[in-house]
Amino acid sequence: MRVLLVYCHPCEESFNRAVRDTALAALDDNGHEVRLLDLYAIGFDPTMSPEERRGYHTPKANELPVSEHLALVRWAEALVFVYPTWWFGLPAMLKGWCDRVFVPHATFVMPDSSHPMGPQLTNIRQIAVITTCGATWWMSKFVGEPGRRTILRGIRWLCHPKCKTHYLAHYKMDTSTPASRARFLSKVEGLPRLIA
Amino acid sequence: MRAHVLYAHPVETSYCAALHSRVVDQLAAAGHEVDDFDLYAAGFEPLLSRAERLAYHDIPDNRQTVSDCVDRLLAAEALILVFPVWNFGFPAILKGYFDRVFLPGVSFRMEDGVVQPNLDNLRRIVAVTTYGGTRLRAWMMGDPPRRLVKRLLNVTAPNARVSYHALYDMNRADDRRRSAFLDRAGHAMRTI
Repeated sequence: MRVLLVYCHPCEESFNRAVRDTALAALDDNGHEVRLLDLYAIGFDPTMSPEERRGYHTPKANELPVSEHLALVRWAEALVFVYPTWWFGLPAMLKGWCDRVFVPHATFVMPDSSHPMGPQLTNIRQIAVITTCGATWWMSKFVGEPGRRTILRGIRWLCHPKCKTHYLAHYKMDTSTPASRARFLSKVEGLPRLIA
Repeated sequence: MRAHVLYAHPVETSYCAALHSRVVDQLAAAGHEVDDFDLYAAGFEPLLSRAERLAYHDIPDNRQTVSDCVDRLLAAEALILVFPVWNFGFPAILKGYFDRVFLPGVSFRMEDGVVQPNLDNLRRIVAVTTYGGTRLRAWMMGDPPRRLVKRLLNVTAPNARVSYHALYDMNRADDRRRSAFLDRAGHAMRTI
């Protein structure tokens, strides 16, 4: 399967980096074709500019500022996101990537007076989120897991109607132990089975 | 009341810009002291940097790079958010404000290992926003921005009364609906 792994963390010594590398190795070992998009490393600009916003609804032209990213998204059969949950949501970097890359016409059909919105990324049949949360499971549920919903419902909706979703989270990261982190990494090693 | 307005839209001719103007005008007209923060106009940097991440838990050094934003937030009695919902969330520039400014020691503090809210200064939190999708679709998606405002912000600011004003299905909203929502936003500010 063609897998695009979108990774977002500013520190190379972070646990998220270990999660990323574990996922990459596991996918590779299982014969998946993987491309890595490391948003901090490539210096992605998450802020949608005034020009981009003005041209947001213009078919084709709205793809130009992010054409390389759209090519990756169109190539992929699975999307895997690895990021820390900050304030219960996506880091601004990853939120900005979603804002700028998932443009209308290319990734979804705009609604009009007689039709609702419709998906365009029917090449994507699996989405996985692997994340770390400072908060507890209970608090995350209370706030409603905005980051999880943004990707596994919002972005999921642009994909194939039968697209499957997977969510792995290490909660209470600030009181994690070597044992809890090792347990989590062994779950991440099971990613290829999840998306197979 | 001292009202801190956070505004996040890049285009000055947008409907969101009109909402922002209405909000600021009506707050001032009602006699409130307005501290307006236009994130795009100020060129706000939304990315938490490597250095900021490493110093994240070091109170009070962690606020050094955003001390002006922190001072303005802590001086406010009302926090007003004006933004478009993009991808069922805050625009990245506004999400970055929370990532970088809502720091330990600013929005929350740890006491005996327990998280305690810290924005006791805020008495009102109001969000004014627009959605491309319908309310039903937003509800099906779990409406993350509404929950973030109504649940999370309220947790960090326990003294604040929170209200959330949203115009859904923006792509198909006619002049009448848009105009009515501008009036609703203005009314919310006059009666804050």
